[in-house]
Amino acid sequence: MSVHPGQPVPPVEFTPDAVTLLRFGAVTRNTHRIHYDTGFARSEGLDGPVVMAQLHGCLMHRAAMSFAGPGGQVLEVGWQNRAPALAGERLVVSGTVGEVDPETGRVTLELVEHGGQGDVVCCRGTAVVLMG
Amino acid sequence: MSAWEVAEERARAAIGRPEHRDLGVVRAEDAAEFARSAGETGPHLVDPGRPDFTVHPMYLVSLLRGAGGAGQDECRPDGMYRDEVPGTDGLDVRLMAGGQEVRFTGEVRAGDRIQVRRVLTEVERKGSGTPFLLLTVEKTYTAERGTLVRVRERFIVR
Repeated sequence: MSVHPGQPVPPVEFTPDAVTLLRFGAVTRNTHRIHYDTGFARSEGLDGPVVMAQLHGCLMHRAAMSFAGPGGQVLEVGWQNRAPALAGERLVVSGTVGEVDPETGRVTLELVEHGGQGDVVCCRGTAVVLMG
Repeated sequence: MSAWEVAEERARAAIGRPEHRDLGVVRAEDAAEFARSAGETGPHLVDPGRPDFTVHPMYLVSLLRGAGGAGQDECRPDGMYRDEVPGTDGLDVRLMAGGQEVRFTGEVRAGDRIQVRRVLTEVERKGSGTPFLLLTVEKTYTAERGTLVRVRERFIVR
């Protein structure tokens, strides 16, 4: 498959609701109250329980893995949290191809995660993949 | 001195001091539940009974503790672990995750016993209005056969 800079990374989406956050927090042993306690989250200046950073990372990883395709590999993934996402918000990660190294086959993706009504940037990140 | 200034002083004193944590043994059932709760549907990620079952690559770096969990006295009132964000134990400060950079260097397998080495590498003051701290922690996840993942993680302290 030919990959070139500027090529779109097809979007992946996920809507983590309160039940999702409880399950994700339980399996990762993340007991921070901002993820499940509405009163506490509001006392911290948030509008309600918020999505874990690692769950944002998982969606970034999924976008990269999906782009790499069957037999592909994600070598690196990174993201910065820019705005909190509330439980129940639809999150969409999309992006473009940044660099392509023809010698190593490493493809760098520039990724962004939008939340809310699609107008809030929740995370920005990059991933390095080998195409399948 | 404010609470976050105390945290800053403590954190600067802890730069470069390594800590170690045992995450226990990776269980396929837990990794599958992780994948399901992250919204994955690929059978090789969510069905631990399949011969091609694969531990989700993000599982390890998302784990704050192993299956043994932690005692109540190891938690802050906000639910975070007392030792999760360097310098903040016992202080009334707000904590948020800032993001991660993850490099995968080996495949995690069910049955692996995982050790994590953590080092605080950087403490920065940020923000023009209300200042906050940005702490950078580097983590190395290893199993007996070698290093599996390297992470640079950032925490925000207000």
